[in-house]
Amino acid sequence: MAGASALGAVSFLPTAGLPFIKTAASQDVKTLVFAAAGTVTSSWDPTSHTVAPQITAEGFIFNRLTNCPMTPEDPSEILPDLAVEWRSVDEFTLEYKLRQGVKFHDGNELTAEDVKATYEYGSDPSRPASAWYPGRVDVEVVDRYTVRLNTEAYGYPALNFWYVSSFLPILSARDIANPDRLRSRPNGTGPFRYSETQGDRIIFEAFDEYYDGKPNIETVVWAYVPDANTRVLGLLNGEYHLTERLEPEQYVSLTGESGITTDRSLSSENKYLHFRCNKPPFDNELVRQAAVAAIDRDQVLQLVAEAGQASDCHISPVKFGYIDVPNYPTFDPARCQELLAAAGYPNGQGLPEIEFITSVGFYPKTREYGELVTAMLQAQGFPVKLTTLEPAAWEEQLYRGSDGQGPGHIIDVGWITGSPEPDLVLRPNYHSDFALINGIDDAELDAALDRQRGAVSIDERLKLLQEETLPMLADKVPAISLFSSVFLRAMSDRVSGVKFYPNGPIDLSKATLS
Amino acid sequence: MRSGAPQGASEHLLLGPFYRLIGMAFAIEFFVRRILQGAVIVFLVSFVIFALLRVVSGDPVRIILGPMASSAAIEETAEQLGLRDPIPIQYGRFVAGVVQGDFGHSFIRGVQGGSTGGSQDSEGLDTDNRAPVFDLIMTALPYTAILAGGGVFLALLIALPIGIFAGRNSGRWPDRFALYVSSLFISLPNIWIGVVLIFLFSTKAGWLPAIGYEGLAYAILPAIVIAIEISPVLIRAISVSVSDNLRAPYFALGLVRGLSSNYMFRAHVLRNSAVPLMNLFGAQVIGMLLGGLFVVEYIFSYPGIGLLTINAIFQRDFPIVQAISILAAVALVLINMFVDFFSSLIDRRLKF
Repeated sequence: MAGASALGAVSFLPTAGLPFIKTAASQDVKTLVFAAAGTVTSSWDPTSHTVAPQITAEGFIFNRLTNCPMTPEDPSEILPDLAVEWRSVDEFTLEYKLRQGVKFHDGNELTAEDVKATYEYGSDPSRPASAWYPGRVDVEVVDRYTVRLNTEAYGYPALNFWYVSSFLPILSARDIANPDRLRSRPNGTGPFRYSETQGDRIIFEAFDEYYDGKPNIETVVWAYVPDANTRVLGLLNGEYHLTERLEPEQYVSLTGESGITTDRSLSSENKYLHFRCNKPPFDNELVRQAAVAAIDRDQVLQLVAEAGQASDCHISPVKFGYIDVPNYPTFDPARCQELLAAAGYPNGQGLPEIEFITSVGFYPKTREYGELVTAMLQAQGFPVKLTTLEPAAWEEQLYRGSDGQGPGHIIDVGWITGSPEPDLVLRPNYHSDFALINGIDDAELDAALDRQRGAVSIDERLKLLQEETLPMLADKVPAISLFSSVFLRAMSDRVSGVKFYPNGPIDLSKATLS
Repeated sequence: MRSGAPQGASEHLLLGPFYRLIGMAFAIEFFVRRILQGAVIVFLVSFVIFALLRVVSGDPVRIILGPMASSAAIEETAEQLGLRDPIPIQYGRFVAGVVQGDFGHSFIRGVQGGSTGGSQDSEGLDTDNRAPVFDLIMTALPYTAILAGGGVFLALLIALPIGIFAGRNSGRWPDRFALYVSSLFISLPNIWIGVVLIFLFSTKAGWLPAIGYEGLAYAILPAIVIAIEISPVLIRAISVSVSDNLRAPYFALGLVRGLSSNYMFRAHVLRNSAVPLMNLFGAQVIGMLLGGLFVVEYIFSYPGIGLLTINAIFQRDFPIVQAISILAAVALVLINMFVDFFSSLIDRRLKF
């Protein structure tokens, strides 16, 4: 992408449109075109996938019981959405009172039956996205606008839904009874209703009866544009109004560009290096500790530049329980050598060849900092070989296979979820029941994760997370979080009133296009 | 002085049907032989592509079902799609479908077109809810035809005057000018030139739209990129061919017989120079065009076959990649066949 200085160098070109060809920039003030880096799956059922772009698309269509802004200043803040009041009744019961008069896009009114159907359907372990739910849940319909979530039959505290309720879209009970309809046509209560799909474009129309008022923007066009340069050029020529997932250099170029507004927001994603903990050499905790002592995260962050923010924790600063963990690993070559010697590999001698797998073309700068980390580890005697794969090949290598093993020894990945709930990160990654990537099997760590999950009050849980679970992770390092990701976006300065969520969704309900 | 009525006209009249029969027999023999050769080529190409797709890393089932899918679900779906069968068996099944005109369904794209992976409903993957590959190709093909046609047209518009002028003035400044233009164009990577053109003429000047397709104007900038990519080869071929023909004995002989230089050029040199140009189209330009279209459509987010293919490769959408590879191979075989046929009609000394 050309730099800011180059932008001025071509100002000799007249900007009036040729008479026989329409000008590129659209001046329609009712249609917003969003150039998206990803697109949706072939099913509109939100419980059928865990795909981030579709979660963003669902943000236009669906509402949740609550709304968590997920700010680093107050990650635990919860605001009303479809629920206007909520309380903990007892250890296994949460009660939600629903907003009255809310309409689905098909014209039916939202009632407690819809919430019951949604939660019981979505938490069914057979649903592909049931991993987002803490476990199965029974929902009692107290009256037309009151529900109680009950987890007693499944043996875990209902408090686990406290934050997740801001992430799970509420569906219509009638749609859940009709899976074909659920798959083919989303029906939410959100500010925009699904209209149609035209190839790689999805059209959403403003919902006249949205409970918080019909949006000013009449039409949102979701244009799937995989190439980052094309997204930026489309924004600059006025064909797109909003785009996402900028490279750091693009963000810098666009900052200060006339007619463009940039947005830099801390996300709920941390970037990790996972160690395969169920095979040598990283089945040895000392070798993992030595490896993280060899990595200078400050240098990594300098490379990532605008797309990263320092954090010393296995969860993002916008997650409930975040703390800069006092014993979080730091760059310490001398300690690295002590640990290697203690593990029986003085100066790295005797270590097997270590394969470090990373991707290119998905996250910013992964290849660049992959090479840097490889060099840092090699400098301390780790015989590391870097393998860089395009996203499809990398994703195949990411998770452990049916034999419990994953390819390579270190693998780079980000983990993003749309709720302050920390267990959406911690449990799938570090509890031996799941340990989807690193395969850690540590009874002490399992017990700590179970204890914080079993806490019966928010305060107790916060204390357990900050004083036990997160410090234990920093010590056992089945993975190291290198930094917290920052989302880089840009939009036309004709757009105002947009609100971005840290996991990707964009609130356009109050946005205007001048 | 031009000759009057052709000598031996009566002989031609008597032998006309015989010659036509000979000509028809030649055409039939030519096409039968070339179609059989072409079928072997398409078979080999499709098998190699089919096998390579299954050998490279990147399991489509992981993309179809999404990252959180269990190993059991992955295996179940792979079995359902036949992806765990030996490659020859998978290929046999595929060929059987193609013979019946069935290119299968996309692994990834829904019936409405735009889609990505990462979804599994409780009943497993329902391929009937995925878009038929043939429909996806037929939707994208007209866009690519517009772009390819526009690109070739613009390339000829650039290459014909420069190449002919250079050929007629071999060793002088027009020849050097052609060399410089060709060298300049050939040294410009199509990705770079695409981005620069969008930036200059769409972003800064606002003269032309550039991203996606909502009308013919959207094809102009990408067609220019295609033209810049293929015109150096055309310029070189035209100038060399014209120059060679001008140095050929028949040209000097024509002048000795009193025919004007311009007449000889129009009537003979241009016609004879067209043969290598046609061969070039078959052997090189169509290949460059196909390769260029993939890159250009991706840069311009132009909804043609190239963009469909690149996204399919990223998503390991095997049925789409296989079908497009076969169609590309068929197109190349057919184009080469017709190029050779018409070349031999122009110059009967050629035999293929």
